[in-house]
Amino acid sequence: MLSSRLEDVSWVDAFSLPSVFDSRLPLYKEWHDFVFFDRKTKVFGLLNFAVHGNPYDGRRGYGAALAFLVGPGDKVHTALKLIPLRKLTVSPYNPEFIAEEVAVSYSGDSFTIKGKIDDVSLDLVVPVMLPPVTMNQIGLDILAKNQVNMGMLGAAAEMARIWDKWVELPRLSVVGTIRAPGTVYKVDTKTGYQDHEGGRFDWGSVMGWDTGVLLCDPARPGEPERVSFLFYRYGHSGESSYGGIIVKTAGGGEKFFGSEKITSTKSGEFTGERAYLPGVTRLLYPDYQPRVPAKTVYSAADSLDTLEIAFTPRAVCTIVVSGVSNEGETTFNEMCCSAALKATIEGKTYDKLIPCWFESVRPRGRFDDPWS
Amino acid sequence: MVLRLRKFLDELLDVLREDYPKQLSRLIKDANGLTYLQVLDKERAVITVRNRKIAIASKARKDEINVRVYISKSCLFDVLEGKLTLAEAFETGELRVFGSPQTLLRCYAIWERVISLARTSPRFYFLTYELR
Repeated sequence: MLSSRLEDVSWVDAFSLPSVFDSRLPLYKEWHDFVFFDRKTKVFGLLNFAVHGNPYDGRRGYGAALAFLVGPGDKVHTALKLIPLRKLTVSPYNPEFIAEEVAVSYSGDSFTIKGKIDDVSLDLVVPVMLPPVTMNQIGLDILAKNQVNMGMLGAAAEMARIWDKWVELPRLSVVGTIRAPGTVYKVDTKTGYQDHEGGRFDWGSVMGWDTGVLLCDPARPGEPERVSFLFYRYGHSGESSYGGIIVKTAGGGEKFFGSEKITSTKSGEFTGERAYLPGVTRLLYPDYQPRVPAKTVYSAADSLDTLEIAFTPRAVCTIVVSGVSNEGETTFNEMCCSAALKATIEGKTYDKLIPCWFESVRPRGRFDDPWS
Repeated sequence: MVLRLRKFLDELLDVLREDYPKQLSRLIKDANGLTYLQVLDKERAVITVRNRKIAIASKARKDEINVRVYISKSCLFDVLEGKLTLAEAFETGELRVFGSPQTLLRCYAIWERVISLARTSPRFYFLTYELR
């Protein structure tokens, strides 16, 4: 794996604002996703800080801060606040997102997330524990170590079309307090994660993906360093898909299982806690409840290495985003899951239940897609 | 400072004229003939759509009004934020709507289109929150 350094976070994870002369400025969008799960207090969090639209047009561009929290007993809290650009500062020199009511600041290899998103209050310190990894690094690494196939090229071309930026901070520590109506959650975990994406595209042109990260704690016996997955849909109607699962062992080894080695099965239907964002979605589509499998299993085998991950969602937040230039809409199902990992990688066996973030994205309400 | 209802409607029309002229023409066409009384808490505004024009006034003759909508601000924002469904708002009496079924159906389709537009327009969103 190509490496970068903790010192690089400040510029690698900065906002990549497009040129003021860019012809696709109204389609610009970029965000940080912070994800964590505290196994002691059983609190899951997904915090998204985004810029949408022309960042130089104070009337049509805007910022947004979103929180999806799942507490013990799978109690769900969600919050979404839009932020006028005149009250928001982002920069191409650092990853900060400073608004009046909520601020993500960065100093000394550590984020601080402080303030309010609607009725959710955040006071978190988030030190970065591992250096950033970019989409290019991941892609080159896979291409260098695996036989190239058409699926790989198709997905890579689609991702390159959509994304100008794709950065991950694979491990974060998250410490602090979150207050939601009627509840105070304490968080102290070393299994946080951040991704940072940006591009200039319309949501109506995206066929979607399934991605996620098992929030592993390699300090615990029997857990790998990291497991992440991404399956990207592409083609005229999303009929093609390619992706894979990357397992990093605690000993520093790495195994990639490509789509050609993976079988995926979905069963049952999720009936647990759900939330919808923005709230107006419930007003527009009172009966909209995209189907979510109760269980999704990925199984893979490659010579002596085997892998099976069974994902069971605990809570789901459905986010519907609409396109700018057409009526297409995209549904994000953000899921707090538990993942039953059974694997043998490089002779080491793993058999653990690990908390997981799973994001499934697809065009909304497609007649030929039962999960839309 | 909190925005007054009539000022809000005037500014909303400006946003539609500037950013969504085609959709505004369609809305006017569909709403032609409506005289709509909107009561928000204690504020009143009458929206009249006649001959491809929209006018916003503080009152109209009683026999001209064919739709009356009464809603509180707290209910409006609870509905917009998904905390309350329309059905629940009707049940609690925080939203009351009067008019012939046919006219109400027309209005519902118009509201739906306006709300749909609002999702893609931060100007619309921020303007609405100035009412709060």
